[in-house]
Amino acid sequence: MIERAVYRRVERIENPTGRKLAAGLVRLVLENWFYALFFVLLWRFPYLVADLTDSEVMPQRPTGGSVFWQSVMAQTLLIACLAMSYNVLFGFGGIISFGHALFFGIGGYTTFILMREYEPGARWPVLAGFAALVVVIGALARIPWRRLALAALVGAALLYLLLPGSGGVSVYQGFGVAVLLSVALSLLSGAVTLRLRGVYFAMFTLALAEVFWVLAKSGTLRALTGAEDGLPFRDLIPDALNPTPTAGGNRLAMYRVTVIFFALVFLAIRRYINSPVGRVIVAVRDNEQRARAIGYNAFHYKLLTMVFAGVLATLSGLLFVLWGSAKRVDPTLLSLNYTVEPLLLTLIGGVGTLTGPVVAALGLELGRTYLREETFTFSTRLFGLLSLWQALWVAGFALFFYVFRRGLRRGVARALGAGRDPGSRAVTLAAGAGAAAALIVVALVAQAIYAETDLDTYVYKVADLWQLFQGMLFVLVVMLLPHGIVGTWNRWWFNRRLRRMARQAAARAAGAETAEPSGGHEA
Amino acid sequence: MTGPAAAPNHGAGAPPLLDVEQIHTFIGEFHILQGVSVQVPRGSITVLLGRNGAGKTTTLRSIMGLNPPRAGQIRFAGQSIHRLRPHQIAQRGIGYVPEKRIIFRDLTVGQNLQIAERQKGDLARKADLIFGLFPDLHRLYDLPGGHLSGGQQQMLAIARALVPDNALLLIDEPSEGLAPVLIEQMMDAIRRLSAHTTVLLVEQNFQVASRLAEHYVIIEEGATVRAGRMADLVSDKQLIKTYLGVA
Amino acid sequence: MPGYFARLTPRYRRSWALVAAYLAFLVLISLIDFGGNTAGQTLFRGLMLSMLIFLVASGLSLIFGLLDVLNFAQGAFVLVGAYIGYATYQSVELSSTYSFLAAVGAAVVSVGLLGAVIETGLIRPLYARPVFQIVLTFGLGAILLDLVQRIYGPQPKQPLAPPELFRGTFYLFGQSLSIYRLFIIGLGLVIMVAVGLLLNRTRLGIIIRAGVQDAEMVQALGINVRRVFTFVFVLGAVLAGLAGIVLVPYQGATLDLGNQFLILAIVVVVIGGMGSYEGTAVASFIVGLTRAVAEQMSLKHFDAPVLAETSILFLMIVVLLVQPSGLFGREES
Repeated sequence: MIERAVYRRVERIENPTGRKLAAGLVRLVLENWFYALFFVLLWRFPYLVADLTDSEVMPQRPTGGSVFWQSVMAQTLLIACLAMSYNVLFGFGGIISFGHALFFGIGGYTTFILMREYEPGARWPVLAGFAALVVVIGALARIPWRRLALAALVGAALLYLLLPGSGGVSVYQGFGVAVLLSVALSLLSGAVTLRLRGVYFAMFTLALAEVFWVLAKSGTLRALTGAEDGLPFRDLIPDALNPTPTAGGNRLAMYRVTVIFFALVFLAIRRYINSPVGRVIVAVRDNEQRARAIGYNAFHYKLLTMVFAGVLATLSGLLFVLWGSAKRVDPTLLSLNYTVEPLLLTLIGGVGTLTGPVVAALGLELGRTYLREETFTFSTRLFGLLSLWQALWVAGFALFFYVFRRGLRRGVARALGAGRDPGSRAVTLAAGAGAAAALIVVALVAQAIYAETDLDTYVYKVADLWQLFQGMLFVLVVMLLPHGIVGTWNRWWFNRRLRRMARQAAARAAGAETAEPSGGHEA
Repeated sequence: MTGPAAAPNHGAGAPPLLDVEQIHTFIGEFHILQGVSVQVPRGSITVLLGRNGAGKTTTLRSIMGLNPPRAGQIRFAGQSIHRLRPHQIAQRGIGYVPEKRIIFRDLTVGQNLQIAERQKGDLARKADLIFGLFPDLHRLYDLPGGHLSGGQQQMLAIARALVPDNALLLIDEPSEGLAPVLIEQMMDAIRRLSAHTTVLLVEQNFQVASRLAEHYVIIEEGATVRAGRMADLVSDKQLIKTYLGVA
Repeated sequence: MPGYFARLTPRYRRSWALVAAYLAFLVLISLIDFGGNTAGQTLFRGLMLSMLIFLVASGLSLIFGLLDVLNFAQGAFVLVGAYIGYATYQSVELSSTYSFLAAVGAAVVSVGLLGAVIETGLIRPLYARPVFQIVLTFGLGAILLDLVQRIYGPQPKQPLAPPELFRGTFYLFGQSLSIYRLFIIGLGLVIMVAVGLLLNRTRLGIIIRAGVQDAEMVQALGINVRRVFTFVFVLGAVLAGLAGIVLVPYQGATLDLGNQFLILAIVVVVIGGMGSYEGTAVASFIVGLTRAVAEQMSLKHFDAPVLAETSILFLMIVVLLVQPSGLFGREES
């Protein structure tokens, strides 16, 4: 309502330049006020928590609510970035990768292995290895040799600049090399999309990531990677990158860096998707053949998307590693967990929506931390109404009837008599009533059984049940909410607007009809 | 055999064997059929005409239940079938010969035919009819379907639909991609088998269609625009030009 | 059989030749590197592993071929089969042979029921959305893993004594081995042949093979494909469950059993070509033997089993790059 009023006011501006400027400004504000508000909220988050928990924002020792939640929020935002980058691949690009964790974990390993092991003499062997990788990728992607040579030259030049001729590698140079490696690996898996589709591609990426994971945790390479214990880097990072206050680091500064990084990732993805390139990518997802027939080289766009998503994941992973309290690069960063997590978050939030992964990450990760110490028993009441087992029964039944709704309708239609349409209202009512009756009966029976047992003696901790909860969430979201939270929300709004437009059109048509005779007289 | 297959030509007032009434079919979000009606009289060949992408194949798929219509009615032999699942529709006596002649490449010709049996011995009973129409198939009986030529695959696809007692055959583009000689053979076979069953044919090639069919239905942008006797259409050059773009 | 080879397309013939050459290479290299007896032992172990992998992978391949579902819960079926079989084997007080039979029965029936419920209740509504099926089965796998851990505890279960029938030992390659190992190999071979006969000689098998190519067309011929889907899913689950219980007397039951076999089975299915039965059978041997040889080799030269785990992944990557649809898979158009 306000929107329309504002726009109407803008249209009344006489000066054309002023009108254009005002319109642009209004659009900028109207489209971004929510995001801006959210950003401010994130920025003020440490202070808010400090006020709420009566703790300091920047204490000398890393204790207190604010400090704790700064770390939680920062890591949640980075997971959200990972999920967003996965969504670029999966949601917008239609590329199903099972190896996204590779990009998340590779940054930390590259940086810190380089910092620990690099000697100036290694500069040329590293360059040679890089050139070999480029050649392999080029061969796979059948890239014309001129372009291949150019890419190799640019990459090698960057690498040459990043690797010092004398002395060790600084952490920022390490980051640079990590990003370069991430680009190369993205290109490698991207090149494979030419030859492999669908599940085969997913399996390729899975195998590629698993190889790195196995190597990272293998005892044979302990000297290099630290194996299962992880690669320690406490002494390798400057204070500016250390969020642990005891070691002279500044957590609040690091938190702000993370929030800004998050905002930049979000804006970059939005810009990418809304750019002409992004539109082509979505077109390729929807119908690759048609996009190709129009004249777009679908492969190049896929490659670009893979690189974009890979680099974002690597950068998120680097920051994530720095936030870890153990100050070690853990091999689990490369494990399937960090592929499944963003996949889950993307699905829950809404595949192919901008904000979906963020919403899901904030909800799930913050919820998990907030509830981690909570315990419950089977008779714990939710909202003071149902005890847990009652809620589970209701949910189970609802799921059962949802899954078997068609068969149920058919059965009821048959029971009501021949020729009854399974889609009719009477059948719906009868099926609903029958389901409710069955639910009550089974609940009573279950209660009778439950009364005999002592399930209450088991005390469950939320943190322990998280795995189970996550698995169930997977199933429920897939079955009941295929468009995810934001996707469902968007569709609802879209349909609402459609209905309103239809109503207005109908009203206008009706108005025109009644107005016509009088109009005729006037003419 | 008392099946409808034995029924000869019908009087004008007889109800059609297949009556598709104002169906609306969606593929994903796309509203492909927006009111298609087709009536197939018993014991004749009816042809569905229309430009590329008009919705002819989707109409056949809707009848088969492969893309079930969201609205509208389909009645077959007097009973409504549009809420049934594809295999139930097939069991009512409708044979489907899809576009691009989908035969099972890993199975032998014999197995391709056996799989269509609805009762044991269907193939043995129909052997004379099938191998009479397509003698080649007898020779190729033990060869994998993937080794057949395009024309042979088309024959196999039609033969497969003849194995059970089907009252109606839906045949999608039998002449597509075949050499002229083969098209002649195919048309001859379809004409001969139409003595046994009713046929609803989709055919791009108007020359072929006009010589084969007795009735026509024209679909344009997902809706039926015209239907009638083929003889009337052939004489109306203007109509042909408007809807089919051929002179 | 000769007819089979005569009718092969050139690509299949090349694949067979490649497979034969690769297996010969494995045998040769293990003979050279380990010497006679150790080589024999290694290959024997690989053979046994192959059979177990085959039981899991054949189900995965059939399910993928027919239903287009990459069943990530297949590993969890192994797990459930192993633990339920373990519990039954331990608790049923009959002669050990009968309680083993009871354990096999319990494992197979419960995993089969589980498969039936999952297929009809959860997967069926999602046929039109393949990605979601992957996610769904992945979630189911996580749930089943968690439930198993909750019910049976996180500690690994020690191997139980094999049933009396297979308790003897025999002497091979300078080492005395339990007859139970022979039983595993025998069982695998029997099932390999039985499923092969089912697919090639029965009407149901013909329907399954037709459905692998085009399930919609099978349906249009008047066949209730959904029932066939359920059958195949249950069959796949049952074979995985069988692999689980068979493992119990050999190496006990551990929680990582499922994922371990899932990865192996995925590699097999990808190498063999999704939906191709002969491909799965052949690739099982390739993967099982490769893993055993690589394990032995890396233990000998590096003192750690890195190669064992990475070798099969590399194998899969190489096969995917050289032959994108697997050795015996149909080339996608």
